[in-house]
Amino acid sequence: MKMQIAINPRLRFHLSPFVAILLILMGIAFIVAMIRYIYGIGAISNLSNAYPWGFWVSFDLFTGIAISSGAFVLTSIVYILKLEEFRPLVRPTLLTGLLGYVMEVIALLVDLGHPERIWHYFIYQNFTSFLLAIGLYVMIYATIMMVELAPALLERLKLQKFADLIKRYMKPLVIIGATISVLHQGSLGALLLIQPAKLFPLWWTPLLPILFFISAVAIALAMTIFESSLSSRYFHRGLETHLLEKLAAAIPYVLGLYLIVRFVQLALADDLQYLFNSGTMSILFWTEVIIGSIIPLILFSFKRIRQSPSGLLTGAIILLLGMILDRFDVSWLAVKHPDPITYIPTFMANNVHYFPSLPEVSISIGIFSAGILAFGLAIKYLPIFEDEDGHHPAASH
Amino acid sequence: MTNTISRRDFLKLGGVAFGALAIEQFIPPLVAQAAREAGYLDASDSGYIPSMCEMCVWRCGLLAKVQNGRVVKLEGNPDHPHSKGKLCPRGQAGLMNTYDPDRVLSPLIRVGNRGEGQFRKASWDEALDMVAQNMLNIKTKYGPEAMVFSSTHNLSQPLFENLLQAFGSPNYGTQRSLCFNAMTVANLMTFGMEEPERDYSQLKYLILTGRNLAEAISNSETGDLVHAVDRGVKLIYLDPRFTKTAAKATEWLPIRPGTDLAFHLAMLNVIIGENLYNQSFVAQYTVGFDEVSSAVQQYTPEWAAGITEIPADTIRRIAREFAAAAPYALAHNNWRTSNFVNSFQTERAITILNAIVGNWGTTMFPAGSGTGLGAPKQPAFPRVSALRLDGVPWKYPFVPLQYGVIQELRDAIVAENPYAAHGWFITRQNPVMSIPDRKKTLTAFAKMDFIVTIDILLNDTTWFSDVVLPEASYLERYDPLSLVGDPLSAVGSRAFVRQPVIEPQGEGKSSMWIYKQLGDRLGLSDFFQYKDEEDYINQQLAPLGVSLDAVRKQGYVDLPVSNTDIHKWTTSSGKIELKSDSLDKAGFDGVPKWEEPPAPKSGQFYLLTGKGARQTQFGTQNNQLLHKYDDEPGLWMNTKVAATQGLNNGDMVQVASAVGQIYVKLIVTQAIRPDCVYMQPGFGHLSMGLTTAYGLGSSDSDVRVTYTDPISGGQALSQTFVTVQKA
Amino acid sequence: MTDIQNIKHKAFLFDATRCIDCRACMIACSVENNIPVDKTRIWVAGVGLMGEYPNLGRVSMVYHCMHCNEPDCLSACPVGAYSQRPDGPVLYDHNKCIGCRYCMNACPFGVPHFDFNKGLLQGAFIDKCTMCPQRIDIGLEPACVATCPTDALMFGERTDLLTEAHSRITAYPTRYINHVYGETENGGTSYLILSHVPFAELGLPNLGSTPVRDISEAAMALTIPFALAWGAVLTGVTVGVHQFNKRKEQLAEAEAKAKPEETK
Repeated sequence: MKMQIAINPRLRFHLSPFVAILLILMGIAFIVAMIRYIYGIGAISNLSNAYPWGFWVSFDLFTGIAISSGAFVLTSIVYILKLEEFRPLVRPTLLTGLLGYVMEVIALLVDLGHPERIWHYFIYQNFTSFLLAIGLYVMIYATIMMVELAPALLERLKLQKFADLIKRYMKPLVIIGATISVLHQGSLGALLLIQPAKLFPLWWTPLLPILFFISAVAIALAMTIFESSLSSRYFHRGLETHLLEKLAAAIPYVLGLYLIVRFVQLALADDLQYLFNSGTMSILFWTEVIIGSIIPLILFSFKRIRQSPSGLLTGAIILLLGMILDRFDVSWLAVKHPDPITYIPTFMANNVHYFPSLPEVSISIGIFSAGILAFGLAIKYLPIFEDEDGHHPAASH
Repeated sequence: MTNTISRRDFLKLGGVAFGALAIEQFIPPLVAQAAREAGYLDASDSGYIPSMCEMCVWRCGLLAKVQNGRVVKLEGNPDHPHSKGKLCPRGQAGLMNTYDPDRVLSPLIRVGNRGEGQFRKASWDEALDMVAQNMLNIKTKYGPEAMVFSSTHNLSQPLFENLLQAFGSPNYGTQRSLCFNAMTVANLMTFGMEEPERDYSQLKYLILTGRNLAEAISNSETGDLVHAVDRGVKLIYLDPRFTKTAAKATEWLPIRPGTDLAFHLAMLNVIIGENLYNQSFVAQYTVGFDEVSSAVQQYTPEWAAGITEIPADTIRRIAREFAAAAPYALAHNNWRTSNFVNSFQTERAITILNAIVGNWGTTMFPAGSGTGLGAPKQPAFPRVSALRLDGVPWKYPFVPLQYGVIQELRDAIVAENPYAAHGWFITRQNPVMSIPDRKKTLTAFAKMDFIVTIDILLNDTTWFSDVVLPEASYLERYDPLSLVGDPLSAVGSRAFVRQPVIEPQGEGKSSMWIYKQLGDRLGLSDFFQYKDEEDYINQQLAPLGVSLDAVRKQGYVDLPVSNTDIHKWTTSSGKIELKSDSLDKAGFDGVPKWEEPPAPKSGQFYLLTGKGARQTQFGTQNNQLLHKYDDEPGLWMNTKVAATQGLNNGDMVQVASAVGQIYVKLIVTQAIRPDCVYMQPGFGHLSMGLTTAYGLGSSDSDVRVTYTDPISGGQALSQTFVTVQKA
Repeated sequence: MTDIQNIKHKAFLFDATRCIDCRACMIACSVENNIPVDKTRIWVAGVGLMGEYPNLGRVSMVYHCMHCNEPDCLSACPVGAYSQRPDGPVLYDHNKCIGCRYCMNACPFGVPHFDFNKGLLQGAFIDKCTMCPQRIDIGLEPACVATCPTDALMFGERTDLLTEAHSRITAYPTRYINHVYGETENGGTSYLILSHVPFAELGLPNLGSTPVRDISEAAMALTIPFALAWGAVLTGVTVGVHQFNKRKEQLAEAEAKAKPEETK
């Protein structure tokens, strides 16, 4: 069912209900953001002196960047390891990755106290700060992804010569991009290095950057599977199951490494004592480990699952949910909240307990909706699913 | 440790620190000009000017940092013994008293009904003329005694007293009967002086009976207390509440309200019975010991334990410890101990306790004895034949005339007995809030044909008056040099000056100016023989041969100290009177005897009163700086009791007494006896002219019942019993 | 690593046994530093009243900024808005602040606070105690210290205050917890605390003497070396794979060339 919106007799827009909803969600987020700019962050969120970071950081920064990791993994597979068969997956993951980064930047514009000062990242730089590193990484890698994806646009605009120019330098771009991505994914974990007393011992470790990187690879693979599965379903394209199967085959090894590093670290740091008798923390830990690592590891060990489109998608979703929980735990849920002791004046701690408010969440939802919309438009108007020869690889199946 | 900066350095540094400020200067105001000439302010009108705080009765010396004609910071004056360079929370917040957006800055004349807050601005001439006219009308029609004058004691009090006495009225109300009559009258009877000085420097053992020094802050004395505890002085603290002072005490005794007298009588019983008193001191310097000794024989610790709910062994032990530590011990005379009618005799027992263990000369000294200030000439006051409405001295023979019994004054006005009053002149006082039973006070107000107030804000009393005369705040005015020997301004042998540090805002004037203006209009100029404030102060200084300019620079003037023998007391016997013959003759107990206090019935609570560190009685609740850091007001109730009543923290409850009821937020706390509830007074203002204070909390004045001690005239504030129910 | 005992900084000594929770310090600070009515640089925290009637106790803790010797806020701020003077005060420049609030996470003591209720035009920044440099530079004590009626707050050289603190503990061993908080915590702070109750009841975290920021800074320092190393690895792999593939191609070509001759 499509609605016909007549703006002008000569222009007619076909607006599906789905797109209409996305636009409404984006509109709501925009209004909320405007209120935020006038009245402050506290006016539309439950953030406070006790909880300066909350849902936005967990969802838009930590999760958003994690699910953008497909880009560097796939470009590395294709351009460094030269496994050409995976080429059809490159552009879609680049698109997801780029959109993920752009969504994060937009979220930053709401979360930062003074987004109009974002250029301070370039002139006032403190090189002991991981947040500086992350800020620079976001900007640099987003640029690189844009360049890597540019040929798609250039081909559409029939500017083949420029597209070819870029393709000639893909290898160095990918190497730089992959390096920065490794640093970036690790840096997100490294943000927590300066809060050892505040992050529960089942999560805090000096090895956090490494754990984040390894899990980012697993997330990348799962994300590629997820995004390909959805795209094939909703844009009526074939699924490159044989490629995805190979990606899925790598997941158990990545998760295996992740679990080993995680548990060995816990043992060496004498933190195994917290595993089972830490109440909510134990529940969160085991939930994220079982759902994010153990179950996917088992599932993807079975060829039958790897070869079935529904098996692939299910396994990927489970992994992603578990890993997203991990990102939420590290950035919010396992972060120690202040003790409920007296504060005078009472506005000092504001809300000692935190849960995101509806306007707060609506910002993230609106940005995410914009991302989905942009993804759909890009799929429609750019040769994302076509290779450089104009073939639809999926069409050949 | 950082060197403490002397005041002189302050001035130097002030000039250096502020450097070159705005090039455009205002036309130099008079104050700034004078201060510049005195060397305080540099060319950019910045620097420190010494003056005196007025946020409470301790009247610390302060240094006001001034920049561009504005006070930007207040510091304690290191030279003032009450501040020693520090200021308490109210002193630091004093700026917001001066710069309160709700300041009354021009004379106001009521246009609506009383209590509607409808006023129109008027010129000083119109307002003063109106006041004088009304006062003269009342004098002519009803006699000068029909004009009532009341003021909370302040530095301009001598001129206020001039006004009322020259006018011919005997009716003089102060705040003292709501505060410390019990203590001062007891001291007068025992030692012949209102309040001996206390010295903590050699102290080893201290008993505080309800004097919550950590919250009812008297800057330097609060510091002395904490330092004493810090160096190991034993502090025994009697209070039905676990206050912040209790938290510092060696022992907190949650004594039953109204029974401090029993505790102290038992102390006397032990000390005398076990011969622990200073026999030579008693023989040499006291009279009446034998009567005391036989009177207290029956007051054993076992007897007291049943009454006070403090174990007998504890009482006995403390008595022995106290005597052993003497003469380096002190039973603090407090303001009024437990706020019951028997508080007067409790104070007497405390004076006797100190006397018989010989604390005089180590921890207690005669009050400051500097003299020598002059005053403008004035003729004798007219004879007054009318009785005082407050019953002094015909109903209250022992209350000094300068104290009065203000709650009695209010009651007499309501009863129109012995005669009706028709006018009320109120300065720097908030009787609508401070006198118990607010409804009754407003009834008294309704009887007035004319009410005039002098104040800086539209507080509750001002809100209900007919003419408001705006006073300049304490940072904007002169006041007479403080009188040494006055318990409320005694600071050894120095008289400190209060001088304006900025130009008065709006049309505010000093009360010295206002009284003279009124005096002139009332035909009483002879009693106000000074040209202006500076002239008055110069006349005060004349006998000392010192000019105001010299005093301004320094902030104070030293007074000649008469070397008196500290072992002389201005009682009729010349000695410490453990037994009061005058009390005896008047039919009261010449030595303290046990008076059983009333107790609440089942289902009722004692309604205690007290102080908080960020408020001063009824005048500071509108101060935004104090409000910012203050706790939310409410009714304290013991945790267990609240649980049994099904009440939770934050519930609105109805508090009802014999005279009224209020609704107040409940604060559930462990820090109070189960049979007590507590409200900090000062909240629940009725005046909508107090934009910060209006609507904040509730007033205990609405439920307090008026009980007056027949000897000292002191109001028994905690003798009110209330029920508490969920609203 | 600096010698924690001999850090030459100006410092505060807060003795919780002397504090009566009057809050004169906070009012003095607000006035001295022109703090708006809805903000504060120092505040009370701590459990306050302890125990059950009639066995009660009380403690009040006045929170400033700890002016750490190795400040985490300074390490964490991406735009370097924090700085530390040689004599100790940790300062903050709101002209650089972008409001990211990372410093609030980094500070183990929860010191920096943010204007959650201000929009862009009003300015939403971090604020915290600065040790009143405008006063200490002219020989005065910070406003809070100068006004404290009970001398619960003292100010001076850190080494002198440590000596004073320890002499108090020695003189009154049953009164104080036998530890000066801030002496070694986080590498030493310049807000030293004496208490009669465990420091956890004051809301102070349990920290070792290793500065919290050390691991984070060490990890950041690895960035460039790691980037170079990883980039080299990836380049190496790229080149290696490229060579490998080329070799495979050459072999395949050679095979293909050889094959047709066989079928002739």
